[in-house]
Order: sequence, then C-alpha cells, then structure tokens
Amino acid sequence: MKRAIALLSMIALMAPALLFAKDKKADGKQITINYWTHEDPARTQLEKELIAQFEAANPNIKVVRTTQAAVKLIELVQTAFAANQGPDMFNLPIENEYAYITNRRVAPVDAKAAGYKSAKDIAAKYAPGVLDAVTVDGKLYGLPLELTNWCIYINKKVFRSAGLDPEKDYPKTWEDMMAVSEKLVIKDGNILIRRGFDFRYPYYLTFFVPMVEQLGGKLISDDGKTAIVNDAAWLKVLSYMQQWGPSGKNLGSPTYKNARNLFNLDNNDIAMANTGLYQQGRIEKDNPAFFKSGEWMVVPFPTFKGAVKNTAACYYGHYFMVNDDAAKEVQEASWKLAGFLLSHGEDYLTRGGNIIQPTKALLESKTLKSMPYSDVFIKDMARAHMIYYGPSSAELQTLIRNAVESVMLSGVTPEKALATLKAAAQEIIDEQ
Amino acid sequence: MPRYSGIERKQARWGLIFVAPAMLFFAVFSYYPILNAFATSFFNKRALSKAPPRFIGLDNYLRLFSLKTAGNELSFYNSLRSTAIFTVGTFVPLLVLSLLAAALIASLDGKRAKRALQVAYYTPAVLSSVVAATIWMLIFDPRGLANQWLNGLLGLTGVDHLWLVDRSMEQLSTMIIYFWKYIGYFVILFITGLSSIPPTIYEAARIDGAGKLQVFGRITLPLLKPTVVMVSIMSMLQCLKTFSTQYMLYTNGAPRGPINVITFNIYVTGIQEQYLGRASAMSVVLFVVMLFFTWFQFRLSKADDVEY
Repeated sequence: MKRAIALLSMIALMAPALLFAKDKKADGKQITINYWTHEDPARTQLEKELIAQFEAANPNIKVVRTTQAAVKLIELVQTAFAANQGPDMFNLPIENEYAYITNRRVAPVDAKAAGYKSAKDIAAKYAPGVLDAVTVDGKLYGLPLELTNWCIYINKKVFRSAGLDPEKDYPKTWEDMMAVSEKLVIKDGNILIRRGFDFRYPYYLTFFVPMVEQLGGKLISDDGKTAIVNDAAWLKVLSYMQQWGPSGKNLGSPTYKNARNLFNLDNNDIAMANTGLYQQGRIEKDNPAFFKSGEWMVVPFPTFKGAVKNTAACYYGHYFMVNDDAAKEVQEASWKLAGFLLSHGEDYLTRGGNIIQPTKALLESKTLKSMPYSDVFIKDMARAHMIYYGPSSAELQTLIRNAVESVMLSGVTPEKALATLKAAAQEIIDEQ
Repeated sequence: MPRYSGIERKQARWGLIFVAPAMLFFAVFSYYPILNAFATSFFNKRALSKAPPRFIGLDNYLRLFSLKTAGNELSFYNSLRSTAIFTVGTFVPLLVLSLLAAALIASLDGKRAKRALQVAYYTPAVLSSVVAATIWMLIFDPRGLANQWLNGLLGLTGVDHLWLVDRSMEQLSTMIIYFWKYIGYFVILFITGLSSIPPTIYEAARIDGAGKLQVFGRITLPLLKPTVVMVSIMSMLQCLKTFSTQYMLYTNGAPRGPINVITFNIYVTGIQEQYLGRASAMSVVLFVVMLFFTWFQFRLSKADDVEY
C-alpha cells in the first residue's frame, strides 16, 4: 500500500512537468501563427480583412489573432514568455518590448520573408532613427506597426463657455496650463464637476519625463550609469504635479475618469486631453457629430517657462516581434505576415485606427498631410525623441508612477518621493 | 502496525483510485507551485531571462527584511502592515456580521424571504472582478454615490471624502468592497451550520423558558463552534490572500502605498518588475504566516469538543 501511495505521489508531482512541457515544432506543412495584439476596433476590422487575404494567398498558413486590452497584454505576453509559452508574433510599446530583445526572446527580422531585399532595404524605407530602438548589435529585431506622439486636444465650446478664446488662450506653457485650467474647472465644493485638462496617467515616460527634460533633468545620464539627473528639475515637476492634485489646486487626479475617453463625449466634463492622432478615429466613432462640428482643435505639447530644452511629449513605437522559440518555419511565416500587414500603411492610417507606420512614403504622403492637425503632430514629433527604452524601462515607469502619485495623492513631500525614486532607480541601473 | 484484512486492503485501493484525480489536481495547481516557489526564492531569477538563474542563498529574504527599506512606503514591511490592517479590518466584521445575518435569515418564517435574502447576499460573490470594479469605481468616483450618500448622511454638500486618495479612506474602500463581495459566501456557510443543529435542542430550551438571546448565546453559538472556526480560518486566509480588490483600485489610479498588501507586492515584484526570485521569497513568507495563523486558530478553538 505504501508503495502504491509513493508511486501515486511521484506521478502526481511529475505531472506538471509533463503537462507543461512545450512542443514548438510546426505541425508538418500546415503552419499556425499565434498573433497577440492590443484591442483597437478599427484596426481589428482592417486586420481581419488583411489576414483573410494573407491566408488565401498562403493556404498553408493559419493566423490566430488574439486581442487584449493594452495594459493587460503587456502582462500576458510577459507571463507567457516567462513560462516559455509566448505567442509567435506580438506587438507591445517599445518601453515594454525592449527587454525581449536584450533577453534574447525575439528573433532577428527575416528581411526576405518580410518582403524586403535586405536589412539595408528596410532601413532605407523607414524614417531615420525609428529602427534604432529595435536594433541591437547591428541586428534588427522588430518592424514598426505604429509610431505615436501626443499633443493637446481642445474642446473649443468649453473654452468659450469659460470666457476664453481657444485660438488665442490655449496653453503654451505648463504655467499657462495650470492658470487656464483654474479658469475652466467647475467645482461643487471640492468635487470636480468639470476639468480643464488632465494628464495621461500612468504613462509617465511619455509625458512626465519630457517635462523634466524641459527643465534640464534626465531620467538616465548620458553614460547610462546614473539614474535621475538634476534633482532641481525633478523636484520642480513633482511639485507641479502636487499642485495639480487634490491636495494642491485640485485640478485633476489619476482617480478621475480617463480624460481622453471623456473628451470624445463632448459633455462638458473636460476641456483638454493629451492624446495622439489616432484619437480622431475614436472621436469619429464615439461621437460623429462632435467630430464633424469643427469644435475641436489640436495644439502642441506645452513647455515650462524658461525651459532649457524645447522638447515635446515622447513618441513611442509598437513593433512587430517574433518569438525566438518558435519553429523556424513559423518565424518565417510570421515575418511574412508582418511584412504583408505593414505593406498597407495607408489603410492603417485611414481606416485602421489612424495609426502612423513611420515609413518615409507614408510620412510624406498626401493622405497623412491632409488629415486634420497632422501638421501639429509632425512638428511636435520633430522636437521630441523616442521614449526611454532599456532592459528595465517598464520598471522605471512604475517607480516614477509611485513617486508622482505619492506626492499627488498620499501627502508625501516631493523631496521624500524623489529620494525614494532615486534610490530605487539607481539600484535598477546598477543591476543592469 | 495495524494489519488489514483482504477486504479492507481492497477498499483502501479503491479509495486511492478515487482520490487520485484530486491528488493530481493539487499536485499540478498547489504542490508544484509551492515547491517551485520555495526553490526559486533562493535564486536571482528574472521573468524574461533565458540565462540560468543564479543561486543567491538567503539574499532575497535578507532584502525583504532589510531595515534600510523599513521607511519606504513600498517596502515589504509596509506590505506586512497593510496586510495586517486589511485582514483585521475585514476579517472581524466579516465573521461577526455574516454570523448575525445568517442567524437573522435562519430565524425568518417565510421560505421565500429566506431564499430572497440568501440570493441577495450571495450575488456579489458570483460577479466577475471586472463588473465589481465597474460598480465600485462608479460609487467611489468623486461625483459618485459614496460621496453623495455620506454627504447626505452628514448634512454636507460638495465634500470629497477622497475614497481612493486619502490613505485611511483608500484602505477603508478596499475593506468595504471585499466585505460586500464575500459576506454572502460566509452567510451561506453559517446557514448550513445553523441548519445542522438539531431542532429538538431549541424546543427543549423554549420549554425551559429560554429567551431568544439566551438561545442564541447558550445554544446556537456553542453548537456552531465548528462552523465558526472553519469560517474564521477560511475568511482570515482569504483576507491574507486578498489581491483583486487592491489591483482593481490601483489600475483605476489609486496610490499603491496604502494598499500594497503582500499578494499585490508579489504581483508587482514578479510580474511588473520581473524579479521572480524576490516575489517567490515573499510568497514563501506569506505561506508561513498563513500556516502559523491557521495552526494558532486551531489551537485556540479546540474545535472538536462540541457534542450534541
């Protein structure tokens, strides 16, 4: 009996190893690509059409497209890779994706499978610098699905209702932003009924770090050895956020509803939101009347008065990447699919969620230039830089989030929050 | 060494066959992760790294309990504190009020009323976290019902009670959500326990002239002791393992410090920051804490001495 129990226990304990064993070989000639991407209804519609065309042209390839909310996808992809069960092809923001390259989790781009003559041919077709984020030791590991920057969307009606002229009074500096917001807010006691503007929490690498850079600060020093450079700049921006929050001038908070989504509704909840060109497609979908009304406009990302650097919100990229553990034929098929999807840049721009694939051809196209306010986005992109990406960029963003939200919401002083942030960020950099 | 007869051995063999699926299930979903986490806690293992993890002995544990980080709002010490506050603040009211609610339901005469109340209490337990999040974020929104109700109750106007912002209010919010979600589950357990008490004992007590409070204090409570012990252990363990409520608040913009309970710290450390070794060490500590309190409650209660 004891022997039977021991045997059963051993089988039970070994079962997980057997169950979780992976088999990444392609099944004969039939190839299945598991493609994971973030939710975007317009892009989903377009990609379903394109994938159907791709499958018709490649009968031996089946594409299983899975979507998840953008934030959830970051965790799912990471958890799947940690268990060696990652998708064959995926896209994430570069600040989350870069660690996959440094950890050798993704395969180099197969230029020929993607429809290019060579890696040089790929480089020649894209805008300068956009492939730098996915180039390590001379090898290219990703192809850009989109490159996005954020400007400020303004609801003209809300401005006028507060006695402001949107064309003249829109905020050019962060000091203006606070002053204009104070005029725009409507409060019931200390409850905000209408906000002037609110930040895009928790994407701090995209909007907060550039604010620090405007004042001469840096997230990481040029030699890559020191985290959080120029305390004075960081303290000034942390103090600004403290003033913005409920314990300061009470102009906004991460606990209020997402400003970007409220903006589309045009229901006098918010006057300004920080978002990308793609927002236009979403306004059109959520509120066609507002989209067509001419009552919204886009202005550049503000700078601080006396800024030492004229920089706008960072731009970030989503890149298609392919799992290095996938069978070679699956990798090849995945790059073929990526190349096929990316050959429809104008479709993505016009009916695939208004996203910009940063090819030279698309950036110079009439289609992009004729889109409302695309010139504002293009000019802001010219004075911006790619979001910080490194093996630990996602962790650094979490640390900045903790620092900002502790001063805005938990009553922590900017000095204490900065000291905590600095120590934790330095530890991460030292470990790298 | 007892000797088993042939038929007993045969029965035991069948017994083993019947429990085998459960053993397999526990092996896959409980034993294996426990052993794996224990082993991983001695390594510097990163979630995405393909390199073999480096053995670092007790470093992960030393780091968790380093006095240098004690003042840090996101330290493991703070997680222990947050978990203790949440557990005490939720487990005690959960236990007391679910018992009272069960006694109230059990004392009702109408079957329909009983069922309706049981369903009403239990409904939140079957709601998905996403639905619960949506409901509570609407309630705790500064313009939501929580401020309106509290201001109405206190005769105030336009006061934001900072449900998701202020340290204490944020902790209270997690307790309210958790209480709302799980009270029904424990009410049902208590109702089951109450129904197992023989009605003849109540009849005897009534004939002897006992009042309702006397019946509850002298008969119901002592005879319900095994259920109370079971519910208290289960609810305490559930409170120690709380995660989704804190995660839900954090993803909706609430600050992490006040609600950074151990499980949430494990999630951030292991999933967001990718330190699997460090997160495993935290989970081992949580496991030991839960084991200790379970043993302690069993010792205190001596649950087996109830007889009808």
